[in-house]
Amino acid sequence: MTEIKSGAAVATSADIRGATAMQLRDVAVSFHGRTAVRDCTFDIAKNRVTSLIGPSGSGKTTLLRALNRLHDLTPGAKVSGQILLEGTDIYRGDVTVTELRTRVGMVFQRPNPFPTMSIYDNVVSGLRFNGIKKKALLDEAAETSLRAAALWDSVESRLKVAASNLSGGEQQRLCIARALAMDPEVLLMDEPTSALDPIATLRIEELMTTLKSRVTIIIVTHNMQQAARISDDCAFLLMGEDRAGELIEFDTTEKIFNNPKDSRTLDYTLGRFG
Amino acid sequence: MSDMTELDKPIEVDNELRNEIRRISQHSRARRATVSKVMIALCAVALVVSAVPLVLLILQLLEKGIPVIDKTFFTTLPSTPSLIAPNATGGVSNAIVGSIALSLYASVLAIPLGVLVGVYLAETETKLASSLRVIAQTMAGAPSILMGLFAFSFVVRDLNIGFTAIAGSFALAVLMLPVIVISTEIAVRGVPNTLREAGLALGAKSHTVSLRVVLPAAVSGIVTGSILAISRAVGETAPVLLVIGGGFTNSWKPFDPVSALPLTIFENAKSEWPSQRAQVWGVALVLVAFIFVLSLSARMWASRKQQVRN
Repeated sequence: MTEIKSGAAVATSADIRGATAMQLRDVAVSFHGRTAVRDCTFDIAKNRVTSLIGPSGSGKTTLLRALNRLHDLTPGAKVSGQILLEGTDIYRGDVTVTELRTRVGMVFQRPNPFPTMSIYDNVVSGLRFNGIKKKALLDEAAETSLRAAALWDSVESRLKVAASNLSGGEQQRLCIARALAMDPEVLLMDEPTSALDPIATLRIEELMTTLKSRVTIIIVTHNMQQAARISDDCAFLLMGEDRAGELIEFDTTEKIFNNPKDSRTLDYTLGRFG
Repeated sequence: MSDMTELDKPIEVDNELRNEIRRISQHSRARRATVSKVMIALCAVALVVSAVPLVLLILQLLEKGIPVIDKTFFTTLPSTPSLIAPNATGGVSNAIVGSIALSLYASVLAIPLGVLVGVYLAETETKLASSLRVIAQTMAGAPSILMGLFAFSFVVRDLNIGFTAIAGSFALAVLMLPVIVISTEIAVRGVPNTLREAGLALGAKSHTVSLRVVLPAAVSGIVTGSILAISRAVGETAPVLLVIGGGFTNSWKPFDPVSALPLTIFENAKSEWPSQRAQVWGVALVLVAFIFVLSLSARMWASRKQQVRN
């Protein structure tokens, strides 16, 4: 079953979606020998938004966190299969974990700016952590990424103010700017709007649509309308009989929502469960 | 499916049952209200009883301490009363200078080390970390005279440094260290994990995240813990008793013998001169005021930082 499904998914993606940013081959994540998600084989196309959808416990976030090796620090966590970034296996290739994370950025569920730092210091923090000290370079990166995150105009005059003074939506855009400052190839977003009000959510969604020309986006979302609105491709995951999440179907968002191959995908997108 | 069909049945209203439930719950509410009042009264009594010794102590300190404190109390060195001048006790400037110097050097020795160890304990899961934690917890409960004995045999004798401020600071630093380690560990553990992940996700190495993200976020707890450690150390007599030499000069130098407020209390309380015994209350009042200011600043620092975060 899985073989045919994932094989078909890879074939369709190669046809219509152009270059690939990341490839997942039979990826599984387990904690202390207990599988949390498995059978994930699909390609992330460059400069598109890929959404991971599915009910709670289907392993969306677990899978996303495997893509920048954030499970490395969790005791007992094991990632198997292959995850390729530009053809290099991120777990076994000659890419270091810190280099990988500068190339694959991440935005989290709740806005998490560094509370002791100013807006400016937050944006350039990644660069500073990686040894960049030149003021001109930092200033330029701060302005470029704040502009890209549609935040520059509202914070230009108060860059030295503590980041905690911003509203929730602004804080999340600050976190996006902070990730963009590293100029990543891929941006992982783990339910980035779940803690925000509808208007702030809309602004983040608009932002994602404009950002994809610059960075490949992979987003986990609980909100199916959001997945339908903003993503180009979509992976549907579901918790199996043994409570491990697995990939049910991967295709363009249009197909997943209008003409899915698997009946469970249809049931989920129509809101019959989950 | 069975529970689905049950949902379709209309719910029957049983008025008798409902009235019975209301009657019983009203009765028990009334009973709980009475119990609650009695308990609050008992708590109030307990509060008053436990506050009595503290209030008496402070009243006695103020009553006996204030009369012996004047300007010369702070500015002059002690002198020995004689039959001609039985009230010529002099001041205690050497003890004030000594106490400040001792806590200053002890802080310089203990705080950086204690903070680093605390961060290490909180941020790693190694065997070394768990044994260090056990050592810190054991040291926190060790009798303070042990630190004095250790400083005496190690610093005064083995290192041949002699009776000096630095030997006393060493003893106090050993006393402060576990307090700082434990409070730093608690503060660092309290930093939300999402901040660590944010740092790591930017490609920072884990020690960079610990020192540049986690440590600044934990600073209020660390400062509070350090101030409390200092205020404990400044009031200790036993660790410094054997090692600081009881100097009679206002010396800030680490390699000079110094005095300290608690040591002055200890020595003067044994004096044969009533004037020197009376002076003890003044010294005690100064010491308590010193500790009070330190604790107050620790609390104010903690609440100020709390407000910033909220």
